[in-house]
Amino acid sequence: MKIRNDCREWRELLGVYALGQLKGDERTGLEAHLEGCAQCRAELALLAPVAQMLPHADPERFEAAAPQPPPELGARIAATIAGERQKVERQHRRRVFGGFALGGATAALAAAVLAIFVLGGGGGGQPEQHVKFTAVPKGVNIYATLEPHAYGTEIRMYVHGVASGTLCTVSLRGPHGVSYPAGTFRYRWGDDSEAVLSSALDLSRTRAISVRAGNRTFVAPVGRASIAANTNEEEPT
Amino acid sequence: MIQLGNSTRGALSRERDVREAYAAHSGELYGFAVRSLGDAGLAEEAVQETFVRAWRAGDRFDPKIGSLRTWLFAILRNVVIDLGRARAVRPGVAEGGIEPSVEPLEEALLSWQVEEAMRRIGEDHRRVIVETYYRGRPYAEVAEELGVPEGTIKSRVYYGLRALRVVLEEMGYED
Repeated sequence: MKIRNDCREWRELLGVYALGQLKGDERTGLEAHLEGCAQCRAELALLAPVAQMLPHADPERFEAAAPQPPPELGARIAATIAGERQKVERQHRRRVFGGFALGGATAALAAAVLAIFVLGGGGGGQPEQHVKFTAVPKGVNIYATLEPHAYGTEIRMYVHGVASGTLCTVSLRGPHGVSYPAGTFRYRWGDDSEAVLSSALDLSRTRAISVRAGNRTFVAPVGRASIAANTNEEEPT
Repeated sequence: MIQLGNSTRGALSRERDVREAYAAHSGELYGFAVRSLGDAGLAEEAVQETFVRAWRAGDRFDPKIGSLRTWLFAILRNVVIDLGRARAVRPGVAEGGIEPSVEPLEEALLSWQVEEAMRRIGEDHRRVIVETYYRGRPYAEVAEELGVPEGTIKSRVYYGLRALRVVLEEMGYED
């Protein structure tokens, strides 16, 4: 029997011991060492549960290559989630803006009054605001949700019905008509997703939101204090 | 700044988060799904459903409670149960040349974890554990075959088990 004075040498037998395969003098010697070595007992306590798990594995399975998901699965999942998100957003818009689906003169009157409405749930105790642009051509829909943040205002824009590829430029208007840019996006036909933009102007100081789509500018009032009709401004020539 | 989607929801609610989670964990999730369902097509379905459910419930994921990986596996476990039930009422749909698991799901998960951990340890360590433990070959015979002293084989078993422990802990194993 090899003389083992070094604790490390005994410790390196712990794997075979934990598997129940250490025999004879080596087993006897290691057990005697364990009696007096708390460090090796602690090490054995870590290895024993692992050794007990080995019977659960089948070497034929782990020696074979691990199955891999097909390369297109990630894209398929992304498309499924994108489709579901758009469906949820459409339902949300129908719920939020559904009140505008009225007809004729009633709709015009209601639109003037309801162009600004406030719902709870925004950040920091301030409400987010949902705005529908009412002074738009037939077949065009423009909605905006404005949410207050520390940096200013987040604007989620939904545009539908303008020519595909139209460049849309969004600004918030503060007191005295000062304009604060929020960003640009292109409307793509068939794309129901929202464009998320931001402006440095605080929502509490925002009086109106304007969207320049192509050569036309649409403006909707924002905030309770500034009830005004939506306007459709022709681009000055 | 322009981006699509609602940026105010919680972790995994954004599609970008789902893409990152997919890149990090889809291989493991798919491996377990194949192992437990025994069918590549069903496994794809299970992984897809797992990420869709995770996205829907993204606001409820709290990293303080557990890792994303653990959470995804918990969802997959439920998906596998649901698919298993559906398959039970639609016999004969499992195809694809992989033996379906007939073990209870917890046992399948444990087996998959150990097998995955064995894949991840070093080749030298895996080989001595396979030869001595799984194939029951004498240590002296394996040592001779590999051209190393018997003591080296024994120490490799020790370091192999230690490596397995580390990998299993990375996979969420606790005593």
